[in-house]
Amino acid sequence: MNRLGLPDAPTTDAAKGALDQFGTYEVFHQKKEGAPFVYVGPVHAPEADVAFLFAKEQYSRRFACTGLWVVPTAAIAVTAYVGDQESAYGTLPLLAKNPAPAPGAADDTAAEEAAYAAGEEDYDIFHLKKRGKAHQHVGKVRASAPAEALQVAKAVFGDQRPVVNVWAVRAADVLRSGDDDRDIWATTPEKKYRDAISYKVQDRIEKFKAEHPATHQPAHGPQT
Amino acid sequence: MYGSASTHDLPTTAATGLENEDPILLAEFEARIARGEKIEPGDWMPGLYRKQLTRMIEQHAHSEIIGSLPEGTWITRAPGFRRKMAQMAKVQDEVGHAQLLYSAAETLGKTREQMLVDLINGKSKYSNVFNYPTPTWADSNVISWLIDAGAIVNQLANAKGSYGPYCRALDRICAEEAFHLKYGHDAVVHLATGTPVQRRMIQAALNRWWPAIMTFFGPSDKMSVHTEILMRWKVKMASNDECRNQFLDMYVPKIWEIGLTVPDEKLAKNEATGQWEFTEPDWEDFKRVINGDGPCNAERLAVRRAAEENGAWVRRALLTPKTQYVRPLA
Repeated sequence: MNRLGLPDAPTTDAAKGALDQFGTYEVFHQKKEGAPFVYVGPVHAPEADVAFLFAKEQYSRRFACTGLWVVPTAAIAVTAYVGDQESAYGTLPLLAKNPAPAPGAADDTAAEEAAYAAGEEDYDIFHLKKRGKAHQHVGKVRASAPAEALQVAKAVFGDQRPVVNVWAVRAADVLRSGDDDRDIWATTPEKKYRDAISYKVQDRIEKFKAEHPATHQPAHGPQT
Repeated sequence: MYGSASTHDLPTTAATGLENEDPILLAEFEARIARGEKIEPGDWMPGLYRKQLTRMIEQHAHSEIIGSLPEGTWITRAPGFRRKMAQMAKVQDEVGHAQLLYSAAETLGKTREQMLVDLINGKSKYSNVFNYPTPTWADSNVISWLIDAGAIVNQLANAKGSYGPYCRALDRICAEEAFHLKYGHDAVVHLATGTPVQRRMIQAALNRWWPAIMTFFGPSDKMSVHTEILMRWKVKMASNDECRNQFLDMYVPKIWEIGLTVPDEKLAKNEATGQWEFTEPDWEDFKRVINGDGPCNAERLAVRRAAEENGAWVRRALLTPKTQYVRPLA
């Protein structure tokens, strides 16, 4: 081929096996301390640690970040999508009995022990408020299965309207950046060549125009 | 960044297939778009919508990763340390944009493996401008400024399109683009307002690239059935002619104000109509190049193929038995 020493055009087509590009993890990003985590997109990775590295590169390369969560796509339970003015909680099946313990019951140690024994875990709940926007973390609920988590979320967060779509994910399935690891997010602000604002050309253009009065611009309008 | 309104395919009269779609679902789908709601991955969509969007987003992704090559080659030879770092940062971003766009296309059902294979095998297209070489640093600056500018015109339009994942990806891309355009303009201004040797260099580069820039938005798409449907579905947000005219309106004055000329004697704005007049590009030549017969097509694909082959052992080493694939959600 040339200076790069590339091979000549191949005679057979390239092919890739399934999983050549691994599976996917969904990424949630926190733009500053105290802000809710917001969905930013997926990464392809063979496992969670690699997914975290790729997510850090992909979603905080140029954006301020104070925290990152990654979770396997398969671990997210998803409701139906509804229109912009509706509530996705309305699409959940109605249950015969009230599945949600009153929020205040969590303060009762005995109730908490009973819940723990029943196999209840934390689930993170995310709401999409409008089609085209991104899912945002609204809080946690306790449940022993994803379907139940959605029902509990309905009781706890269902009055937050509109909600176009809900995601529920077992908290234990989420790999999160640690509070103690905030140094991960430190950037080098001295590298101004990456900032649009550090490029100032207008003075140079004005100086040039002052020294070279316009001679190149054709007359406006067509020549007839 | 390097997205273009056309799908890099020349206009066809292919059937729409709409007569086979459920009329009630189709009506609901069109009503949703008409009232300004976005379509999300799980929604019902007509086959033509899915197919056109997949092709458009996939080609945009390929354009990002191929487009990084004519600029990437100048990283080590850009003048001065700061420009080397800036060009490297820009190229980093372009590759990142390709990742975002492959993910968005993937939500429509085509796998990344298939998209990458189609690129390497020459089956999927990318923006034709990248089939040309950058013989000097000034050529890479013309890309960084004017091709980026053209892509931004497209991206800003498409960001208002109907498909949620593509809109989200484009918002992210537009935010990262700001420094690219400034970097490109800064470099062109530096040369154009510099020494006589620098001015000649940038003018020569602009003369080489102008024909490709004029084809960037694709051929004129007089309202065909396809164009009309794609606009109704907010897949295509503006005609190729509208995008080209907007680009000329925004950038030809900026080219002229730094004393550069455009190698087209016909180029002028008709103040009465608001339309720029220009010499019609050679679309037969465009077709020849985009179908494989350009100066750099073989090299571009060979570089991608080499990268894929050289990296295969890493991907094999990382693969674990518990890896499973599920289509990304959004």
